[in-house]
Amino acid sequence: MATNQVQSIKDSLKNKIWPAEDVVFKEFHTKEKYIEALYIKTISDETIIQDKLLKPFFEILSPDLFLDYLQSSPLVIPFESEQKTLDEVIKGTAILFYQNAIYLFDSKVDRNNSVLDTTVETTIQGPQSGFSESLPTNLGLIRKRYPQTSLNVESTTVGTVSKTDVMILHDTRRADTDTLTRIKQFLASIDVHMFQTGEQLLDIIKKSNRALVPVMLVTERPDRVAVNLAAGKIIILVSGSPFAVVLPTVMKDFMSSMEDIYQTYWVTKFLQILRYIGFLTSLVLPGIYVAVTSYNPELFRVQLALSIAGSRMSVPYPSFIEVLLMLFMMEMLTEASIRLPKAIGPTATTVGGLILGQAATEAGLVSNIMIIITSSVAISNFVIPINAFSFTLRIMKYFVLALGTLFGLVGVVLGFFILIAYMVKLDSFGEPFLTLIQSKPRKE
Amino acid sequence: MKMFSKWGWMVIILVFVFLLNGCGFKDIDKRFFVVSIGVDLAKDGPKKYLVSLKFAVPSPSKDKTNEFAIVSEKADSMSEAVRIIKTKVDKEVDFSHAKVIVLSEQVVKEKGNAGIFYWFARRRDIQGIAWTAIAKPSALAVLKVKPKSENLPSNALILSLGKDGSETPYVISEFIFDMKYKLIEKGIDPILPIIEAEKDLFEINKVGLFNKSHMVMKLGPEETKILNYLRKREEKSAVKVKKGNTTIVIDTHKVKTKYKIYTPKGKAPYIKVKVSVEGTMEEATRRVPNEKLSDYEKAAEKSLNREIEKVLVKIQKANLDPIGFGLRYRSRHFNNDDWEEWKWIYPAITFKVHTKVQIADTGLIE
Amino acid sequence: MNRYYFYLVLLNMLINVIIFVPKILIDYRYEGAVMGILMAIPIGITLNYFYSKAITKFPEQGLPEILANSKHRWLKMIHFGSIQIIWFSAGLITLVGFIDILSRFVNPEMPKLSLLAIYLAAIFLIIQLPTERVMYFLEIVLFLNIPLIGFIIFKAFTNEYLSWDSMLEVGTHLFERPSLKSIAAATYCFSGYANLIIFNRVIKGKLKIWNFIVIFFIGVLNLFTTFFIPIGFHGSDGAQEYLYPWISTADSLRLTYSPIERVIFLFLMFYMSITLMSVSVHWHVAFELLKGTFKEKVSMKKNWLVLAFFGGCSIVGVIFLNSLILHKLTIYWMMFRLGFEIILVGSFFFWARRRAA
Repeated sequence: MATNQVQSIKDSLKNKIWPAEDVVFKEFHTKEKYIEALYIKTISDETIIQDKLLKPFFEILSPDLFLDYLQSSPLVIPFESEQKTLDEVIKGTAILFYQNAIYLFDSKVDRNNSVLDTTVETTIQGPQSGFSESLPTNLGLIRKRYPQTSLNVESTTVGTVSKTDVMILHDTRRADTDTLTRIKQFLASIDVHMFQTGEQLLDIIKKSNRALVPVMLVTERPDRVAVNLAAGKIIILVSGSPFAVVLPTVMKDFMSSMEDIYQTYWVTKFLQILRYIGFLTSLVLPGIYVAVTSYNPELFRVQLALSIAGSRMSVPYPSFIEVLLMLFMMEMLTEASIRLPKAIGPTATTVGGLILGQAATEAGLVSNIMIIITSSVAISNFVIPINAFSFTLRIMKYFVLALGTLFGLVGVVLGFFILIAYMVKLDSFGEPFLTLIQSKPRKE
Repeated sequence: MKMFSKWGWMVIILVFVFLLNGCGFKDIDKRFFVVSIGVDLAKDGPKKYLVSLKFAVPSPSKDKTNEFAIVSEKADSMSEAVRIIKTKVDKEVDFSHAKVIVLSEQVVKEKGNAGIFYWFARRRDIQGIAWTAIAKPSALAVLKVKPKSENLPSNALILSLGKDGSETPYVISEFIFDMKYKLIEKGIDPILPIIEAEKDLFEINKVGLFNKSHMVMKLGPEETKILNYLRKREEKSAVKVKKGNTTIVIDTHKVKTKYKIYTPKGKAPYIKVKVSVEGTMEEATRRVPNEKLSDYEKAAEKSLNREIEKVLVKIQKANLDPIGFGLRYRSRHFNNDDWEEWKWIYPAITFKVHTKVQIADTGLIE
Repeated sequence: MNRYYFYLVLLNMLINVIIFVPKILIDYRYEGAVMGILMAIPIGITLNYFYSKAITKFPEQGLPEILANSKHRWLKMIHFGSIQIIWFSAGLITLVGFIDILSRFVNPEMPKLSLLAIYLAAIFLIIQLPTERVMYFLEIVLFLNIPLIGFIIFKAFTNEYLSWDSMLEVGTHLFERPSLKSIAAATYCFSGYANLIIFNRVIKGKLKIWNFIVIFFIGVLNLFTTFFIPIGFHGSDGAQEYLYPWISTADSLRLTYSPIERVIFLFLMFYMSITLMSVSVHWHVAFELLKGTFKEKVSMKKNWLVLAFFGGCSIVGVIFLNSLILHKLTIYWMMFRLGFEIILVGSFFFWARRRAA
């Protein structure tokens, strides 16, 4: 490379990078040679620069030998283009100008690489640690759990401003190539400014950006990722996020917890049935209550009907308002307990749940049976192991409730089946979202 | 444009739905549940019936749950009575929990009241599984009884007729749909239990036998028990056996009945009835040694044979068929005039009863 | 055993309760219904066998794909058109009949159109799905409902009020000359195979003889249950008095320990979804055939036009057909259907053989 060319690139780089407080441009001299380095010190690891660049620079006297050192160091990449160089600088790479050549010296600092405990998908038994917020660490965690040479890692960036590093992992022997191409196309087509975490994909996937049901699974557990890799799924890791995205995902994945493989057969089956019952309860119970109290009180046997009638005696408004009132109260409580600091959380639940419920029935604002229904809806809602799906469920029950209010029992039954039909309609990268018998993963 | 059309559709559908959805929504506390219906003959005045509806009054507290209200009205037909009663109560009258229908003795004895049964069957909101019974002295009196043990209005009747609570061989309970079935079906005649109202309780141990239009005769408690044996509906009962000076009571836990109609050529037709009873000795006026048990079994068989035959003949003399011999005959003959044949055979048929009693156990005491 | 094929036949067997099959059979119980049922079984199985054999010669193809490059455009249109009318009317009768039942037993005070609105919304969502998704959904619905129907049938058979003598009495009229009407009604139970016209798209491979044996047994059981259980409950003489014998039968069952004491509500809830599915499957066939008639790809607008037509027809049906007229109409429809089916199966079988040869 000619001297003036290097000089012009150097000037243009210096022009493009705003001379902020943390931008460092420095020259190092020995008798025989000199080197210039450009980096941003807040995102570069200065100990690496110190150990791997400056120490050799001052210890190796001969300029040619130092050039050999630079060229053979795994941290150093040769210059490709000005744009690429700029992108790298902004991520923490140092640019070296030495003997009419430009080198990119990987000095990215790896902060937030401590492994976090699982907080969202907790299990009683099995591994307890999740991902960290650092991409290389996460990749390492997966590699350790999935020691297969066929594991392929491809990397790309998403986000016009954030330029977030995204890695696509798949087992070349098990994953479906069609699905892989679809996912790559999808990632390439994403047009957002800031891409921070995999959860954003949940909404981006829908063309209208209004998705109700998530069609990809976001997990914080490396063991789940490993299991899914073995099942031929494709994993997306996003830099700076302790969550991995598993694709393609079907309803069965949302209803399974990692605990399923850490328990005995019948326990697992029992827990799975329990989750589906929870799903059903949470979805239709408010609707059933309105339908039964306001349209078809003959559904239940006379003893039960009369006790419902008795408990509703003092309630001054129609049943659907009563249900809405209590459900909103419960949603508030759920939302509030997420925001509250951990120390006050239980207090809020106690005050809200127990005292409020008790007082509301005493005051005759809601019926006793309503309190039971609301709390069982709330509890069974959280039986769903995957958070994204349990949030969806929270919304879906209002749909059933609305139809139940308008059409009675018919509305509840049809509302339920409309939702099922909607989920059957969905697909996740070519895989149908909901079928009774999921097709087995592809054999090699 | 595409977005609009999508939302446009949604809005149109929603508006449509809201416009259509004018009625049908009525809260449970705005409904007045009828738990039992009573029909009497009106004593005086031009109207024919006195229809009483027993409404459950739900209460929010747990202690006073068996409050009820009875509204009666004289009218010429059921629907007329209901229309007028509707104007007397503040809430919507809801028949969907009417579990008991009682008709007074006078009503069922009179001819030409089958229209009432059809009214119950035709109404979509009256359940087919409502119990039907004859009331004594009047339907209103039965509705008014308030047993102490009752925690919901009419629950005592529901429990004893439904056999969820007490199980006894003296109750023959009947659903309204089955009553209607027997009113029409050739070869089987309806039976209804008779409920007698006393001060704080009911006595249900007799039945009334119907022909196709009205009640013809009544059976006493013991006869009811025998009828129940023959209908194979109840196995827990007691058989009293007398042998010499000793009387023992057998608590039965298995009663099996089989019958077959024989029409041999040139001979008189007869019905062979086989009853096998298995039970435990429950009570004895004197010590009964184990080796003598078979003697008592023999004695029991003898007395049961006699009793059963007596009941069967009594029913036959009245030309009734609550057990369904006629239907059995029809179902075993392929010719089309089997019913005419049977009408000719039945009055002359004889019964051959064979009972087998087995005392399997003498209780805790030998 | 091909489960998709089985579901289609099973669906028709279940829906016969709504489409007046028991009513028609019970009306003719002394005039040859028993013989009619016995004759319907071989007829139904034969039609099943020949049609399925013929269409599985074209694996994973529906009729529109099979005839895609046919030269006789007009012939194709008439062919498709007549099938569409049959299928559409099958769905329409079921829908109108069930809306009538709902407005009688579940929502007596709600206008029928309002009930229709929610049904149409659900049906339109389903019939626009791809064929395989309709099948998946059907599978889920059947999976959720089969235990329920099994339980109800079990309860009915073990009920002490079920009079076997009454059933036998009707059985003794075996040797009456069968009427065409009862044969036509009884064969409806087997005619689920005809949905293969479109649903052959999801059938992979050939149908084994096992399928037909299973269908034979289920069909016999189904016809027996459909016909005899209402007679057992309401009598050989009384059963014909009921407009919906099965609904009245369900109302005669009681669950002693369940919070839902009256079986009729379990039964109706079960039929809400089965009806939804049956109408959707029939209309999906009609819809896909209609799409197959056009050469070019169907635009969004045309799509909505077809759906609006479907909706309009059902609104007219609900307004003008009361259950008595519908019942009479269904009897003639059944006979027409049987004749049409025989012609369809015969002509298709020979055409397919010529083409395959």
